[in-house]
Amino acid sequence: MPELDVDGKRISVDADGFLVNYEDWNEAVAAALARKEGIKEFAPGMLDALRFMRDYYVRYKFFPIIRAVCKNVGQPKDCITENFIDPATAWKLAGLPNLGEEMDIFEYGPPD
Amino acid sequence: MAKEPIKEELLQSISYKAPKTFWMDTPAQIKPGMFCWGAKAKSLNVVGMPNARDWNPLDEDWKLPENWQEILIEGLRERLDKYRSLRLFLDICVRCGACADKCHFYIGTGDPKNMPVVRGELMRSIYRKYFTTPGKVFGKLAGARELDLQVLKEWWTYFFQCTECRRCSVFCPYGIDHAEITIAGRELLNLLGLNIEWIQGPVSNCYMKGNHLGLEPQTIVSNVEFMVDDIETLTGIRINPTFNRKGAEILFVTPSGDLFADPGTYTCMGYLMLFHELGLDYTWSTYASEGGNFGFFTSNEMAKRLNSKIYAEAKRLGVKWILGGECGHMWRLVHQYMDTWNGPAGFLEVPKSPITGTVFDNAKSTKMTHIIEFTADLIKHGKLKLDPSRNDHLKVTFHDSCNTARGMGVFEEPRHVLKNICRNFYEMPRETIKEQTFCCGSGSGLNAGEDMELRLRGGLARANAVKYVHDKHGVNMLANICAIDRASLTTSMNYWVPGVTVAGVHELVANALVMTGEKKRETDLRGEPLPAPEDQTSVSARAVAQPEGEKAGGEANV
Repeated sequence: MPELDVDGKRISVDADGFLVNYEDWNEAVAAALARKEGIKEFAPGMLDALRFMRDYYVRYKFFPIIRAVCKNVGQPKDCITENFIDPATAWKLAGLPNLGEEMDIFEYGPPD
Repeated sequence: MAKEPIKEELLQSISYKAPKTFWMDTPAQIKPGMFCWGAKAKSLNVVGMPNARDWNPLDEDWKLPENWQEILIEGLRERLDKYRSLRLFLDICVRCGACADKCHFYIGTGDPKNMPVVRGELMRSIYRKYFTTPGKVFGKLAGARELDLQVLKEWWTYFFQCTECRRCSVFCPYGIDHAEITIAGRELLNLLGLNIEWIQGPVSNCYMKGNHLGLEPQTIVSNVEFMVDDIETLTGIRINPTFNRKGAEILFVTPSGDLFADPGTYTCMGYLMLFHELGLDYTWSTYASEGGNFGFFTSNEMAKRLNSKIYAEAKRLGVKWILGGECGHMWRLVHQYMDTWNGPAGFLEVPKSPITGTVFDNAKSTKMTHIIEFTADLIKHGKLKLDPSRNDHLKVTFHDSCNTARGMGVFEEPRHVLKNICRNFYEMPRETIKEQTFCCGSGSGLNAGEDMELRLRGGLARANAVKYVHDKHGVNMLANICAIDRASLTTSMNYWVPGVTVAGVHELVANALVMTGEKKRETDLRGEPLPAPEDQTSVSARAVAQPEGEKAGGEANV
């Protein structure tokens, strides 16, 4: 299984670079995941956005409404797409599981 | 997910020249970007579909049962006996070609097998071979052919390159409904476990959780509460919608997409604001939480099973009638199938607007009314206070959803609403609207990520008509009354006609709706600034039909 080196600690990720263990996530891990996506540093509020997504996932087992994430961290409603390329990348950086094609719902919208 | 093709390359690749080989000798190509992934074992198993296994359409081996030909032929025999329309449509086509260039997929691909007549021939040739004497005796000479693996893959390719929009049927001199052939084709493919996951996943979600997305009850409530918060920010008014409330007069059911993604969430805010202003005695349900029905893209039986939960919930809650949100295929089901599947719903009353007293006789049997009919009736009776100048930053055109237009004849209601809530409304060319409307390009469960090239090709015809009014009149808003439209047209417009956004009609209704006790609106539902105040004051005085007391005073200051 591929691993990510964060401050000398080995963190397991899957073949697509998603964190394997939800609990492994912290700011340093998020920064390491972000670098792999070409994101050098987090824009204001974006670490809070990732934390919000993590909490939401635990409670609701689903993708949050994207602009709800932004509103909750006091950012403009397009904050996710502007700072993370797309919602699926934000999901990955939040250390949430790889849901494969189901992530398309998050990125392209719902079936109906 | 597939990468978007380059626009110029895509346009140049469309050729209407026929291939050199005879159509029967030209195998279907299963190309990335043009198909959806096969249904997974876990999704097929949830609803007990046959031949549940994981499979890849790109593999040579589709892991079919040994006697798959027999299953398919027997399945066709059963359906020929059951559906007279199918036998008729297979028998009577004279291949005149009137339908040939009417299909958005043919226009966007140039592939002759996307001519409805040829798509029909894919099944007709098998029908002739196994069910007609000339076909049995003369074979290919009589347009018949053996059912082999190449034919099966061709069926799968092209029955999932048809959105069942029925535009072709409008032009057929015999009235052949090629959507019915596709529907039967997909049913037959499902006997072999050959659905696509983008349909099967939502079907199994809906069966287990009550909606396509698989939203849990607490997620539904949380998402609605988020919208309620947004409405409070916008209007200063706190709305308190109820869920699963017994004894409500009306059960409200809408596609679950409205609860999750923009721009559907804005449409949903529109419903919430309208119902609050009316003081409507209604309830949401977290059980019947899906208006759409992807079972319809699977089989009649599956559609019936998923549809039944709406009546079951209406009965459990003891409501009088059902109001449905903005959706397309949902309404073809409700209008044309629900009553024979799960009706008549004798325990409900004929829908009657508690505000105007209008009885919706067209829903006498199903007891379920489309919100656009409900709202058009409100406006016709002057029951809404509207300030259309709040939509002055929008130049609006209307996309008729295939199913509400051709499936139930809803043409004038959305236009009546739009002309009362905005002042810049422009129609697309005649041959692209109303009964001749072009599909969004992604209907019937084809709006996945991996078939993006197919969707963009299929969306070209509609986008081209939007581009016409965008260039000519500066149209920047494509209104519609369908959740699939809201998702798929957004993608299509971003690609083909940047500068045009997409909204459900009830989002625009809520922009214009003057609510009792609301604070001065600074923005529209999306948080975009409203047109400049000085422009607005002069127009709003004209626009507000019946200014009265406090509300009108409040408005004049906007």
